Amino acid sequence: MSGTKLLDELANFVINGEPEKAAEAAKKALKSGLDPFKAINEGLMKGMAKVGDDFSKLKIYLPEVMMAAEAMNAALAILEPAALKKGGKSVKKGKVVIGTIYGDIHDIGKNIVAMLLKANGFEVYDLGREVPVDAMIKKSEEVGADVIAASTLLSTSMPYMEDLIALLKEKGIRKKFIVMVGGGPVTREWAKEIGADGYGDDGDEAVKVAKELLQKVKPR
Amino acid sequence: MNSIWEVIDKTETGPYMEERDFDLKVVAKRCRELVKEYEIKFDPNEIITTDDTLADDLFEAGMRLALEAGIFCRSTKRIIKFEESEVHEAIVSAPNKLHIGTRKDARILYAREIEDKRAAIICGGQAGAPIPEEWYLPMSLSYMKEPLIDMINNGGLAVVEGRKVRTNTPLEIQATRRELSMLREAAARAGRPGIHLLAAESSVSALGDLAIASDRYMRTSDAHLVALLNELKTDYDRISKIVNFTEYGALNVTLVDPIIGGYAGGPEGVAVCFIASFLLGRAMYRSDYHVIHPIHFRYMSTSAVECMWNLNIVGQSMARNAPFILMGDVWTSAGAGTEMIFYETAANTITNVVTGSHPLGVSATNGKYPHASGLETRFMAEVALETVCSGLNRKNANEIVVKLAKEYKDRMDKPDIGKPFPELYDVSKVIPKPEWNAIYLKMKKKIADMTGLDL
Repeated sequence: MSGTKLLDELANFVINGEPEKAAEAAKKALKSGLDPFKAINEGLMKGMAKVGDDFSKLKIYLPEVMMAAEAMNAALAILEPAALKKGGKSVKKGKVVIGTIYGDIHDIGKNIVAMLLKANGFEVYDLGREVPVDAMIKKSEEVGADVIAASTLLSTSMPYMEDLIALLKEKGIRKKFIVMVGGGPVTREWAKEIGADGYGDDGDEAVKVAKELLQKVKPR
Repeated sequence: MNSIWEVIDKTETGPYMEERDFDLKVVAKRCRELVKEYEIKFDPNEIITTDDTLADDLFEAGMRLALEAGIFCRSTKRIIKFEESEVHEAIVSAPNKLHIGTRKDARILYAREIEDKRAAIICGGQAGAPIPEEWYLPMSLSYMKEPLIDMINNGGLAVVEGRKVRTNTPLEIQATRRELSMLREAAARAGRPGIHLLAAESSVSALGDLAIASDRYMRTSDAHLVALLNELKTDYDRISKIVNFTEYGALNVTLVDPIIGGYAGGPEGVAVCFIASFLLGRAMYRSDYHVIHPIHFRYMSTSAVECMWNLNIVGQSMARNAPFILMGDVWTSAGAGTEMIFYETAANTITNVVTGSHPLGVSATNGKYPHASGLETRFMAEVALETVCSGLNRKNANEIVVKLAKEYKDRMDKPDIGKPFPELYDVSKVIPKPEWNAIYLKMKKKIADMTGLDL
């Protein structure tokens, strides 16, 4: 099979959300001698870019993005070690610990952001909903996160986002992490007021801001 | 009859399932399959539909989803399933007429029909918004003073006595009690002491809700909202609220707000999910009336074209097959003080009133900023009244709504959020400031000229 065909195949398995087939295609790509970097960037990433674009236009929905992210991760698990072996850097853009902050049970918005971050090459640790502030920090330290992302749909859970920043300062580790906040009642102004580094009005903006902040605050 | 006791039994004994499997293998999968099987299609040029078969097909699809899926209880990871006979009983026993409020302020809230000729009940307030404590009383009064407003659903308090309210803490109790005290005070000052309150918005967990079941705060002629979690889910906090109010004797109201772009899929899948949610919500919560609130994954607003189509088709489907009392939310991207809010309010209100629901709003800026007042809700009430008085049918209403939506749909990404309440109203007299009043008069004329409605 030609290189172009293999790349198209990888992209399509991601777009169609087929993890097993994506993993098989990744193995096939390596066996055929295709450069793993090329397979990732021009195959998997190309597929994910289309998925992100289609989701923005409401051509596909959250479950399709979830399946696409699973397919990409299945293929990445095979291609990335090969790429690293060739002396390259990790293709992952950064590590994000994400969760719906304490007191809030709403998680679909957070799930959308988590999936879009995954789709854009971030390594995402999703802690779920009603996540206590100290648990978010503990996990972030454990995995060496670059970004802590907290979401809420409730104005009465917003104070816990302030607590998150306060506790990071109290522990003397505020500068270790980029803190991003978002969700229904959270505003750009408020994010700034509490000293968060970034804010996303929606999933697309969250991804854009995370990428920019990583470049600015933590150049790799 | 299926009682709350049996529902609690089902949360303990229903089939066990992982939540992710319920989201993907049940909700996502079946919504897609049913949309395909019943050929349900969204058309942005037909926001208000005239196809009765589509409405009936949607109902059948929603009923099948309700029976197959059930409700996922997050507290126990068990599915609360209902037999077909239980769902039918829930439909048949649902009130289609209710007395709300008391004495001279009492109203009859009823299940609206398609193209109903009766005046809609107007529910005013910036539902869902965190409102500063210092404005809460005058802002509530700004709605109560509007004679066309029949009932109130205002936002909650995020700060009480200078302290930020946090979910699941004692302050939630204080905030919910303070919210109700101020609503009562505003009602008394407006000379409408018996006005129906749909309230306790400050109670996110069950804590605040449990603390206001008393004549001093919430009367048995009032109501509280209990959400169905997204999608087709509940938990013990929601069920606790129901248990408490069922015994207390006040009204239970189900809030159903599936997300367009979420697990249920696009506008069509969300419509199927809506029907299932209403049927299961009634069977589970024994709700007296219901709030219909489609959420757009990006804009949030119910005034988004996909959301209005949902308000339309779900409203019609329910009116024809399960006539529940429906309140259709009017949530705008724009804030009070802007011109854009009038276009959104008019389109959203006409859609609701023609297709089987009463308007509830205006929740400006989607409740994000307290940039709201009684004046834009007066406009909502005037549009609702004229929609009925002019005898607007679905076809003509659609032409108007499509035209109105063109005025704002491309600006929903970056809406003008307007101004906070104290900049719009003279807070001591609780009357609109001249500049805000001038925008209202200008836009009322502009929309009347544009639509042919005698506003």
